[in-house]
Amino acid sequence: MNLLTIDKLTAGYGKLTILHDLSLKVEKGQYLGILGPNGSGKSTLVKSIFGLTDIFSGSIKISGQELVGVATENICKRGLAYVPQRQNIFATMTVRDNLLLAVRHLRRPKAHRALQDAYALFPILAERQQQSAGLMSGGERQMLAIALAWLGKPQIMLLDEPSAGLSPLFVIEIFKLLRRLCESGITLVVVEQNARSLLRWCDYAYVLREGKLAFEGSSSQILADEETVKSYLGVGGTAFSQRIAE
Amino acid sequence: MPTVLLIDSLVRSLQVGSLYALMALGLTLTLAVVKLPNFAHAELITLGAYVALVASFWGLNNLLAMLVLCFIVTAAVAVLSYKAVYKPLERRKPSIYTMILASFALGLILRYVLFLLVDRFDFFDKRIKIPLEIWYQSKTMILTNIFFWVVPTSLILIILLSLLLNYTNLGREMRALADNRALARVQGVQVERVYYFTWILAGGLAGVAGALWGIYTSINPLTGWLAILSVFAATVLGGMTSFVGTILGAYVVGLSENFVMQLLNHYLGLDFSFKPAIPFIIIILVLLFRPQGLTGFMDGFRTRAIRRQTNP
Ligand SMILES: Nc1ncnc2c1ncn2[C@@H]1O[C@H](COP(=O)(O)OP(=O)(O)OP(=O)(O)O)[C@@H](O)[C@H]1O
Ligand SMILES: [Mg+2]
Repeated sequence: MNLLTIDKLTAGYGKLTILHDLSLKVEKGQYLGILGPNGSGKSTLVKSIFGLTDIFSGSIKISGQELVGVATENICKRGLAYVPQRQNIFATMTVRDNLLLAVRHLRRPKAHRALQDAYALFPILAERQQQSAGLMSGGERQMLAIALAWLGKPQIMLLDEPSAGLSPLFVIEIFKLLRRLCESGITLVVVEQNARSLLRWCDYAYVLREGKLAFEGSSSQILADEETVKSYLGVGGTAFSQRIAE
Repeated sequence: MPTVLLIDSLVRSLQVGSLYALMALGLTLTLAVVKLPNFAHAELITLGAYVALVASFWGLNNLLAMLVLCFIVTAAVAVLSYKAVYKPLERRKPSIYTMILASFALGLILRYVLFLLVDRFDFFDKRIKIPLEIWYQSKTMILTNIFFWVVPTSLILIILLSLLLNYTNLGREMRALADNRALARVQGVQVERVYYFTWILAGGLAGVAGALWGIYTSINPLTGWLAILSVFAATVLGGMTSFVGTILGAYVVGLSENFVMQLLNHYLGLDFSFKPAIPFIIIILVLLFRPQGLTGFMDGFRTRAIRRQTNP
């Protein structure tokens, strides 16, 4: 069954149209990748789901319910969570206050338990509790950002380049963590530029190019059919296809 | 310099600094959460003072009841000004300059309405009718009941506000909005609701501060406007959006205007009419040499301390 369905979405910023007539679907329990070169509209796509862009036409449905027109602050109630590409933590607040914000709807004992669960899943955060979140390393910040989204107990999590700018060790750590989250029953939509590392972990992927769908298929299909990907991405030898070929 | 003068100016610094802190916290709150440098904050202060004045003329002489009344009235006016002016404006996605001008305009309107009313009922330069009593007296110092009202009330309110900001969900939501509006919304923070609470707190605190100011000195429709420059100096000194910085900034401005002024007068013969220039000098110096204000300083210390902790 489709959990999230995007149908003929055209969206952008102000008068600028970035996404053109984009359709895609996410099945329950799927680990979906969104790939594409710089500026292809990957972030715009996930932002649109959270009402952070201007949507000109099309529909976005979660379990059959329309999301277009729902205010950003009410989207998390529909079982979605989103980890933005940049500025995805409250940098001036302590790690603990970040987490407490995410569990504020729960009663005391439940909130406490949720926090303990988060510390179990993200041990580094337990060590950094009292630290100002903005003073953490890139990898630690990313952990916190994922924890913030995870604490909302979402059915589906959207992550925008969770591995960007991290050391190779941390990248693997993040992808392992995401795999675990997926196995625990959360549907994942992960945006990546680094196609090779994502395709190793996800089930299915969409490739965007200039705001349009260029290609879709299971990870193995995409990895195998390198020629197709290259041709869809055009511009012989882009960094993207090189990265796939590596 | 005679000890009496020295101590007297320190006492005044403490008193005025506490009031500036109350006023500046409200200003910082709207600046940080709503992202609006609200110049009409000045008129909320004046309004608070006049509510207390009128109440005292009507025979209300319980100070606590008076402060509660002021809080309610000015909070209501603050919420109304948000509903009637800022919120409809915000829908048009205005630039910050539009918002600043709008707050100026609103402030002017409120001020001249106050002028009209004050003129009509002859309330110029009146003092709130609270009997003055001497509660402490020594060779070098006289402390009145007013001192014992102003300073502890301000401190209690400052402490309550910081408890609210640091240890409650509403406080965390306010700080989250101040920090990163988009992410706060993604996390489900109901922006509108938090804005209303912010306006209630900022407006109410301005009113209470105005009332306490009016107990401490005489008031007229320009009272808030004259104080707001010092209050902005405190906010700028505090780094614009930091609460701890704002409180420190308020006391530094209070000390500069009283204690430092007294020293300048005594040793350099500088006339007291120079006093209103002090907040301007502070603002200009801070913006020129330390635009991040006092907090950058403290964050610097904290960063270093943490670095030392994490890589010994
Ligand atoms: N807030 C904005 N206002 C106007 N244009 C924007 C905005 N954000 C992004 N764009 C433009 O939209 C296009 C797509 O950007 P988007 O961030 O979605 O790309 P992306 O695929 O996520 O790229 P990257 O890999 O660099 O993150 C770009 O041309 C960008 O300049
Ligand atoms: Mg992006």
